[in-house]
Amino acid sequence: MMNRGLLTPLLVLLLGGAAFLVPGLLEAQAQATGQPPEGARQMRHFWHVFIAFGIAWLLLFGWAVSIARRLARVEEKLQR
Amino acid sequence: MSLRAVRWGGIGLGVLGVGLTILFHWQVFFWVPTEASMGIVQRIFYIHLPAAWVAFFAFGIVAICSAVYLWLGEEKVDHAARAAAEGGMIFTTIVLTSGPLWARLAWGTWWTWEPRLTLTLLLWFIYLGYFLVRSSTENRERGRKFAAVVGIVGALNIPLIHMSVLWFRSLHPQPVVARTDGPQLHPDMATTVFTALGAWTLVFLSLFLLRYGVARLEAQAERREAEGRGMAPSPQPGMTAP
Repeated sequence: MMNRGLLTPLLVLLLGGAAFLVPGLLEAQAQATGQPPEGARQMRHFWHVFIAFGIAWLLLFGWAVSIARRLARVEEKLQR
Repeated sequence: MSLRAVRWGGIGLGVLGVGLTILFHWQVFFWVPTEASMGIVQRIFYIHLPAAWVAFFAFGIVAICSAVYLWLGEEKVDHAARAAAEGGMIFTTIVLTSGPLWARLAWGTWWTWEPRLTLTLLLWFIYLGYFLVRSSTENRERGRKFAAVVGIVGALNIPLIHMSVLWFRSLHPQPVVARTDGPQLHPDMATTVFTALGAWTLVFLSLFLLRYGVARLEAQAERREAEGRGMAPSPQPGMTAP
């Protein structure tokens, strides 16, 4: 079984990689098909905005969850 | 400050922060006008700039708490420094990921080794070092002292980051919000930026307080464990039971 401590950094790494891979793939697709039309250009902008916001919220949510888990662990330890 | 006050303070600020966050998301996606030259991608600005501000604020707390820890040796102050450093790392990571996503469409490149970007990356590594130094020595107190020094030295980078666009040739635009003659932004954009600043400052303060409370409980549990093993640890100067 995978060490649970490794899971969070691995998840961050995977999502971080995906964040840069998805716009890169879109860009490669646009180059392959010539100049992207206005709709495709706007779509790329939306992708970048959503990924930036997604990473931000994932990181903050991850921090909140890690605090909650540590709190549960230490409270359990203190009750023993 | 009692642990109960810390916890309720954290929860209260969190509720306010989430409320303001919902408002700022509505502003970003439904209300604020689209910037003429950069288009939709400029909306990343509303998380990029507040994240940078919160990161600097967090590392400011680290520096102050680290200095107080070196001076007084208060364990609680070290807990606060560590909690703030965690938040600072999170928000600097947000800055370092949202920046390239914006830059790719605005500048045509993900990354360039220009002064502000390089100094911000350096800041991230300095605070990564802060955590590595803490755990690198077997003597816990010595690790804390080394980390406190790193915490103070790292904060010296913050004014450099802010001034780098004025002092050096840089791709980054000149400051548009933190100006002596007031923000140079469309009023709706300025309102959105300030809402986002408030929201993320509250979210950070909430999580910082909760993390600080957990650190104090962890210290309490460790002391109990040591006492249980019959190895009562010698109390450090200023260390009091929460």
